[in-house]
Amino acid sequence: MSLVIEGVEKQYKIMATGTTINALNGVSIEIPKGKTLGIVGESGCGKSTLARVISGLEKPTHGSVIWDDKTISDKGRNHIRSRHSQVQLVFQDPYSSLNPRQKVGESITEVLSVYKLVPKDTVTERMEELLSFVGLTSDLAHRYPHQLSGGQRQRVSIARALASEPELLILDEPVSALDVSVRAEVMNLLIDLRTRLGLTYIFISHDLGMVRYISDFIVVMYLGKIVEQGDWRQIIERPLHPYTRALIAAMPDHSIIGNPETLAKTLQGEVPDPANLPKGCAFHARCPIAVDACSTHIPLLIEVSSTHYVACPEAKI
Amino acid sequence: MTSPLLSVKSLGISTVQDPKILVKDVSFDIYPGEAVGIVGESGSGKTLSVLSILNLLPRGVHVIEGCITYKGDDLTTFSPEQMRGIRGKDIAMVYQDPMTALNPVMKIGKQLLEAIESHEKVDVRSEQRVRDALGEVGIPDVDRAIKSYPHEFSGGMRQRVMIAMALLMSPQLLIADEPTTALDVTIQQQILSLVAEQRRKRNMSMLWITHDLGVVANLVDRLIVMYAGRIVESGTVKEIFTNPQHPYTAGLLSSLPTTSDPERKRLTSIAGVPQKPWLVGDSCSFAPRCFKVKADCLESAPRLEGTLEKSVSCFHAIGVKP
Repeated sequence: MSLVIEGVEKQYKIMATGTTINALNGVSIEIPKGKTLGIVGESGCGKSTLARVISGLEKPTHGSVIWDDKTISDKGRNHIRSRHSQVQLVFQDPYSSLNPRQKVGESITEVLSVYKLVPKDTVTERMEELLSFVGLTSDLAHRYPHQLSGGQRQRVSIARALASEPELLILDEPVSALDVSVRAEVMNLLIDLRTRLGLTYIFISHDLGMVRYISDFIVVMYLGKIVEQGDWRQIIERPLHPYTRALIAAMPDHSIIGNPETLAKTLQGEVPDPANLPKGCAFHARCPIAVDACSTHIPLLIEVSSTHYVACPEAKI
Repeated sequence: MTSPLLSVKSLGISTVQDPKILVKDVSFDIYPGEAVGIVGESGSGKTLSVLSILNLLPRGVHVIEGCITYKGDDLTTFSPEQMRGIRGKDIAMVYQDPMTALNPVMKIGKQLLEAIESHEKVDVRSEQRVRDALGEVGIPDVDRAIKSYPHEFSGGMRQRVMIAMALLMSPQLLIADEPTTALDVTIQQQILSLVAEQRRKRNMSMLWITHDLGVVANLVDRLIVMYAGRIVESGTVKEIFTNPQHPYTAGLLSSLPTTSDPERKRLTSIAGVPQKPWLVGDSCSFAPRCFKVKADCLESAPRLEGTLEKSVSCFHAIGVKP
């Protein structure tokens, strides 16, 4: 069993200007069941669009997403209604994804009753069980979201996502909005739940440190394309694409201290406009190793090993 | 030893109505040419402490005790007019969100010119100064930039404009309140590198506020760690990172993933949630979450004790025999 993402493209048309934004330009990934795929990239790289496509919130323009040999997302009919129980999404900001006027217990029992997931008389019992899964006591069920801390709110969102007993959980920046001192707790909770419930995760973040901590495989995206993918160790310890290298070098790391030189090794320029993609490799204008051919030829993913792929012909393999 | 450029002594900040203590007993010095970082989570009082230096506290919040001395003058006694003379000239500030700090309906060139105008007469050379300042922070097409509005720039470019504006009057102290938090990592790195370079070139003092320990690790000389409105530890970057003595600092450091851990050891987390500064009372602010908590921690509040290289506010500091 696995999640197969096949040649997914997503274009958004802007009516006012008639331009097209290419949010995803052909993304293919396969993740075995029970593993965690980390997706990193900067704003505009398409990581959140990919999450929405996988979860069926958006239909891809081309390509498909297949879970357990069944299509959950393609450009045709919306498949997600019949598959909602298997794929769930946890968003960055639990304060805006929970109803502020609904007690947190009710927000979970609602899911259980609407989808008739458990018999009526066991709804409360199941809700309390779900809260205990995420380390919350059942007396919190009577509180409103604003009465909880950020970490507790995110635990409630996770409990709510788990209500339908999903197999695949898509986590879109799940700890970025939390206080630094409570991030580790939520990360550890996610790791424990993965083991306990045999979940498959897609963990999306701009924070390479967190992605490195939780992922089995890592995909690095730039302007809607995968530039490098591989086993987490290969990506972190032997990055090949110049963009992956720059991302790792720019990652604020407190284990390297008092060395101003580390700040000097920066990537020049900014991410180009996705409505007006550069010709050839989308990264070539910022790339320290670009050659003439990079501005005309779109690089394909080259196989480095059976698990490691890089989309750069100039990378020293 | 030279005297500090800025000295904050026993600063206390509270709300005006229904008084709630937000910052208590905060003291620190910044020496000429030195870069100091203040690290803390949301609600730790780091931004309020710094806003009070420039008398920019939000409405409903005021300084209740302590003094802030800049080159020997107590800024808390300054009139609004005297403060305007300091602000932007001697001490400049860069904010987290340049979109709200810049005027959205005024062209960039005019805004920078206005920053000069508030301190001296503008003449023919002023416009050249604006151009030079924008060029110096790496704005590519200066001619076009001065005729542009803030929304026409990317987040990184807007932050460069803010930095150019802050540096226009050659301040002696630059205060930066999380200026890179909203930026992507590679752009953050560009801004950090730009600021570090300008600071070195101008021998300017700097006070950098952040919640991200990784950001300041290679940027500042000394660090101040705040928790629940109080300073829990301060010292040189090396001391804080390699030899944290306060359980909060140590906990924070071990809860962050690093690239230098091949085993991916389980992150240690700090139990509980950050304490509200006004609920601390006469005990250690970190006691409810501390793994080393003892009876005396609940009876009285520890004071920050030590040297410039290392001070800690804890009765049972790590690695210190009682």
